[in-house]
Amino acid sequence: MEKKKILIIEDDLVLQRALSDYLSSEEFEIGCAGDGEAGVRMALENKPDLILLDIVLPKKDGYAVLTEVRANAITKHVPIVLLTNLGSISDVEKALELGATTYLVKSDYKLEEITAKIKEILNIK
Amino acid sequence: MLTKRIYDEFNLKKQADDLGVSVWQTPSFLFIVMGLVIIAAMTGIYVASTHYDSPEVVIISESLVVILLFTIGNSIIRTVEEVAKANKMKTEFVSIASHQLKTPISEMKWQTELLLAKFSTGLSERQAEIVKEISHSGEKMGRLVNDLLDVARIDQGQLALAKEEVNFCDLMNDVVESQKVFAKSLNVELVSSCTVKHLKVFVDKRRFSVVLDNLISNAIKYIDGSGRVDVLVENNDGFVQVCVRDNGVGIPKNDQENICKKFFRSNNSIKNETDGTGLGLYIAKNIVEQSGGKIWFKSIENVGSEFYFSVPVVDGNKK
Repeated sequence: MEKKKILIIEDDLVLQRALSDYLSSEEFEIGCAGDGEAGVRMALENKPDLILLDIVLPKKDGYAVLTEVRANAITKHVPIVLLTNLGSISDVEKALELGATTYLVKSDYKLEEITAKIKEILNIK
Repeated sequence: MLTKRIYDEFNLKKQADDLGVSVWQTPSFLFIVMGLVIIAAMTGIYVASTHYDSPEVVIISESLVVILLFTIGNSIIRTVEEVAKANKMKTEFVSIASHQLKTPISEMKWQTELLLAKFSTGLSERQAEIVKEISHSGEKMGRLVNDLLDVARIDQGQLALAKEEVNFCDLMNDVVESQKVFAKSLNVELVSSCTVKHLKVFVDKRRFSVVLDNLISNAIKYIDGSGRVDVLVENNDGFVQVCVRDNGVGIPKNDQENICKKFFRSNNSIKNETDGTGLGLYIAKNIVEQSGGKIWFKSIENVGSEFYFSVPVVDGNKK
C-alpha cells in the first residue's frame, strides 16, 4: 500500500522533528515546513493526504495558511489538524470556522494519541 | 466568631501583608482616617458657625472641608485602583507565563515519548526507568500549567465552558476506570455505582472529567495505608448528585472553611507525603458553580470525608 503523505507545518524544530520521526516510523511519508509561506507552497506542490498545522508561525500564521489551503481547488478537501498550544474556546471556534478538521492542544496530547487521531481521520486501521 | 471578624477587620498589619501594600494604604486605615476627618470637619464647621457670624467664614471653612474630603477620597480611590491593577497584572502574568511554559513542556513530553517508543534499543532497564520518570514529571508539569491557566481564567472571569449534553454515568465510569490503576497502586479499593442509567446533564465534558478526577484522586491520596473510596451517583430531585466517600485522614476542623480556597492545602497528617497544589478544589468549585450546580463536603478527622456536588439534569420537556 502506498504511504500516506503528511505535511507538518511547525516552526519549533524540536517538536517538528519529534513528530516527523514518530510518524515516519508509523509508515507515513513526511514533509516539513518551518513557516507559513513554505507550508502553503509545499501543500500546493505535494498535495499531502493530511496537514498538521501550528497557529503561531513566522511569515504567515496558521489561520492564513488554513484560509489559503482551503481556497485552492487542489487542497480544498485535505484534512487539516491544528496543533497548537493556544487553547481558548475562541481560538478553537475560529479554526473550525475556517475549515480545520480538528484541533489538538500540543501539551495535552501524546504523539501516540496524535497518531491515533491521524489514522482515524485517514481511515487507517 | 464575630469578635474574630471584627478583630481581623482592624488588624491593619495583617491586611497590609495580605494586600501587599503599606499599612497607611490599607482600606481600613483610610476608612478610620476618613471618619476622623469627617468628625473633625463637622466640629470645625460647628465651631466656626458659633464663633463667627460672617457667612464668608462659614463658606470658606466649608469649602476647605470639601477640598480636604475630596483629596482624601481621591487618594482612597487611587489605592484601590492600584491594588486592582496589581491583581490584574498578576493574573495576566500567570496566564502569559503558563502559555510560554507549554511549548517546552510539549517538547519534553514528546522527546521522552519518542525515545521510549521508537529509540529505546540499547537503553538499560535503569535508563528506561529514568526516562519514564522524566516523562511523568513532564506530565505533572503539564497538569500544573493547565491548572494555573484555569485559575487565571477564573480570576479574569473568562473560564469558558464548552457545554454539551452528556450521559453522566458514562462520564463517571470513564473517570473511575482511569483511576483504578492509581487506586490499586496505593492499596485502595475504588467502587462506583450509578443508580439511574440515563442521567443527561448539560456540562463541559472535559472539565467535568477533571472535576471528578480531582475529587476521586484526592480521596485516594488522602487515605493513609489501605482503604476504600466509593463514588455514588443518584438523581436527587432534578439534580445529578455525586458523592465521593473515603475512609481517609479527613480534614481538620480548623481547615474546613478554607478548603476550596486557592492554593490552600489542609494540614492533615499526611500532607507532606502527598502531591498537590491546592488548586484542584478551587477549580472544581468554579466549574460546578458555572454549570448551575454546587459543591459541598462533610469531613471528620481520622474518620474520612464525603465530597458532594450536584448539577441540574437536562429536562427533556424543556428542550
